Amino acid sequence: MRGGGRYTHAKAILGPELCARLAETKVLLVGAGGIGCELLKNVVLTGFGHITLLDLDTIDLSNLNRQFLFKKKDIKQSKAMVAAQTAGPFNPNVHIHPIHANIKEPQFDIEWFRGFDIVLNALDNLDARRHVNKMCMAAGIPLVESGTAGYLGQVQPLLKDRTECFDCVPKPTPKSFPVCTIRSTPSQSIHCIVWAKSYLLPQLFGEDEDSGAELDEAEKQGENAQEIATLRKEALAYKTVRKALRSVETADDAAKTIFRKVFHTDILNLLSMTDMWRSRAAPTPLDFDTIENGTFVVKEPMKSSGGVSRSSSGKPLASGHINGNGPISTSAPNGTTNVGLKDQRALSLQDNLALFISSTNRLAARLRAGEETISFDKDDDDTLDFVTAASNLRSAAYYIERKTRWEVKEMAGNIIPAIATTNAIISGLIVLQALHLLRKSFSALKNVHLQFKPTVPLSCVNLCPPNPKCGICRDTYATVLCDPARVTLGEVVDGILGDGDGEEGGTGKREVSVFEDKRLLSDPDWDDNLDRTLESLNVTRGKFLTIVDEEGEWGTIAVALSILPANHPADGPTLILPSPLPKPHYTPRRSTPTPTPSRKRSAPDDEIIESEPSTKRPRMNGVQPLPEISSPSKRRRLEEDGVIMLSSSTDKMEDDVIEID
Amino acid sequence: MSASDARHGGGSRSNLVQITEDEAAVYDRQIRLWGLEAQQRMRNATILVVRLRGTATEAIKNIVLAGIGKLVIVDPDDVTEEDLGAGFFFREEDIGKKKVEAAKARIESLNPLVAVQTMRHHTLLEGESLDALVMTVDLVCVTDWPQKGLIQINEVCRRFGKPFYAGGSFGALGYIFCDLLKHDYITPDRSAPTDAPRSVKASQVYSPLHMALRHRWSALTKRQTKELNPGAVHTILALWEYQKTHDGKLPDGPDATAELLSIANTILSEADVNRQALSTMPSELVESIGSSARHEFSLVCAVVGGMLAQDILKALAAREAPIANFFVFDGTTGSGTVVRMNM
Repeated sequence: MRGGGRYTHAKAILGPELCARLAETKVLLVGAGGIGCELLKNVVLTGFGHITLLDLDTIDLSNLNRQFLFKKKDIKQSKAMVAAQTAGPFNPNVHIHPIHANIKEPQFDIEWFRGFDIVLNALDNLDARRHVNKMCMAAGIPLVESGTAGYLGQVQPLLKDRTECFDCVPKPTPKSFPVCTIRSTPSQSIHCIVWAKSYLLPQLFGEDEDSGAELDEAEKQGENAQEIATLRKEALAYKTVRKALRSVETADDAAKTIFRKVFHTDILNLLSMTDMWRSRAAPTPLDFDTIENGTFVVKEPMKSSGGVSRSSSGKPLASGHINGNGPISTSAPNGTTNVGLKDQRALSLQDNLALFISSTNRLAARLRAGEETISFDKDDDDTLDFVTAASNLRSAAYYIERKTRWEVKEMAGNIIPAIATTNAIISGLIVLQALHLLRKSFSALKNVHLQFKPTVPLSCVNLCPPNPKCGICRDTYATVLCDPARVTLGEVVDGILGDGDGEEGGTGKREVSVFEDKRLLSDPDWDDNLDRTLESLNVTRGKFLTIVDEEGEWGTIAVALSILPANHPADGPTLILPSPLPKPHYTPRRSTPTPTPSRKRSAPDDEIIESEPSTKRPRMNGVQPLPEISSPSKRRRLEEDGVIMLSSSTDKMEDDVIEID
Repeated sequence: MSASDARHGGGSRSNLVQITEDEAAVYDRQIRLWGLEAQQRMRNATILVVRLRGTATEAIKNIVLAGIGKLVIVDPDDVTEEDLGAGFFFREEDIGKKKVEAAKARIESLNPLVAVQTMRHHTLLEGESLDALVMTVDLVCVTDWPQKGLIQINEVCRRFGKPFYAGGSFGALGYIFCDLLKHDYITPDRSAPTDAPRSVKASQVYSPLHMALRHRWSALTKRQTKELNPGAVHTILALWEYQKTHDGKLPDGPDATAELLSIANTILSEADVNRQALSTMPSELVESIGSSARHEFSLVCAVVGGMLAQDILKALAAREAPIANFFVFDGTTGSGTVVRMNM
């Protein structure tokens, strides 16, 4: 082995065989961020010979406290590229192949995944994790999954049919709020922040969209009809202020116009619905001029129960807040009382008004300079200022404690605290588990948690077997190589089912429903799409066709689609079927008919057809109320990128994760 | 004197450096975890790290990224080819150079806000020079060092009221020991309802290493004993004993197994470990460590160096409970446990 001396130690610990094998091992690292940088260093030093590193992101200043392969001069560069450049010299014997791309792109299909011996996830969002999990289950490639948040972390080795897969256990769903809580009756700071970020900002600076549809939907769902009517009126008035923001003549007064509409008129309209305020404190309309000159007083009406009113956090609020003495949060995260940074300063009502005016003006100037739409970005100061000011003004009207710009950034931006040490520990553990997988010492595999327990900071848990009801790893996977422009849906389905006997096997022709992700493409009573090409159905490379037996006797087949080999003759067959054909487990139907498994149902964004009536509730610009969720696929749709702690022992996590988008 | 008193009584600082807005932007994601005050304390701390092997490399990377004020490293050795296995501060062309000299610029480039000072004379770790060195720093971390030396440096730290950390690895095993004297800290009350996060003050009195080594496991039930991985703990203690009688050398190969096993069994019975949990030392473990103890593995170093750095930062910031007081990592399983040794 070249550079043999550097492996002396590793050889003594791993043994010469595994050590030699590592040099030939092909590993895929998905993610070059906090965990990814540490992980890359580890696989480079350990001597994994062929490393593919993929990340779609670029380097940001706030990465530098932990992503040690990056320097200030690298900001805005591709993470994958810079990480590969920095870590390469750690061990010149290994080859690092960086890719600046999204793992969900079609070229990273099942055949591509099959080119690796092992996949290591270093991701920060649920969607990509699920995707890689599914690809690895389909391709039968071992995967090590991981996650960190603050001091906590977890490592989980996954292998089809031996262990649980990532989707075997439902993941906690992010928080969301009913539309009326956001639009009319906020009771917590987060409600006001969501309103400012996901409602007010898009209304003023986003696309000009008709919000009528969602209000129609809300009405159908039985929300307060009077309230909906009021909200409709409110929506119309936005047309006027949007115009004002974009015209040179009126732009100077736009901030004041918006303020009066949003914090005065709209609140007066809400107050006219007296029913709404019987059981809760009616908000106080804000007054521009008296806030500006510092004489405005927010006085919370006494509630019928009497006594001191309480804020959402349970802290008593004094009931008269003079400008500047409002209920401010004096605690930085985790209870520090040290307020030293500019952003951590408490903002008075007056401060918030000034910030509202200046940020509105800055955003309006950007529109007039040609930006068509502006959406929230926590690193875009203008939008963060706007959301800070608007949410705090709204909080004042509703007697809710105000937040500092620092806190608003964290809440609106879904920022998860992240430190180098946690990532370093977790990344070491990931590769230790990966070595067990490569050695096939399956009994040694463990889920490892980094936790607060003083006597056991790193706890090992035995792996669970697959969940028999899992909609991902219990499917039978097959691969079809095809030309999606020429092959029809019917050809693929008939080909996969086969005639049910002979060497090629298959289940034989059955009544089936066919899905792509959550889209229903055909069922026994609806065969219109069977003669269409896959391409015309937007079913392309990298996607899966799911074939569900109508009788529920055969297990579900998931067909991974890849392209024909390069040497395939142009006039050759349009598809290459797997041999033998997939034969899922067979459970003969009992005398009493059981309902068809409904796992793969729901078709929210379906341009083809909806497989069942949508149970979706009204959506407020990203504020998604959660319906009762029964199927994993639906839950998946409703979840969002962001932090996922896989751990069940992370009691605190769920409350820290605030879903806003 | 408490660790935090000691820190501010230390000779190195009279006026505290304040975190600037620019620095806060770099440290944003961690200030959101431990707060500005904790960051400020780290910013004003000088840490001495003795020896630069794999565990120290990882720990140094982490504390420098986190933004301590100043790092002082002492290591008299030259870079060998074997060091490249876990030493990512070194390159092939550095073989034969002084370790600290090869590493200095690469450590500095991790975080330009941290001052790095390197020293390569082993005499600095003896007598009055050691006293002088310890006096000027706020915390001492000694890595991959025989027990006798650890006890000596721990004693010097005690004399000057400085928190002391030891850490290192033996093949697949790793350890951290700390003596934080009397340590006061703040920790969030994680049992409180989540909408009312509250911090509580806590205090711990630590044992010096020579006292901790007299620990007896008598009080623990079978289950409590098993949870703490006594096999791994006593393997590490046996390696230290072996070093004592072999001129600081670690076992290297199957010839040493019998002796190591007998040492391990002796200390196991002296420690009065619940016999239902572990009656004799697992010979497989002792055998494999006998031939791998003098080797270091980058992955084990990453975990132990990560835990070590995190604990140093907790101690500096006086936030969150530090290790109390002997952490053992078992790389064969991934488990990490902490035994309270005589405290």
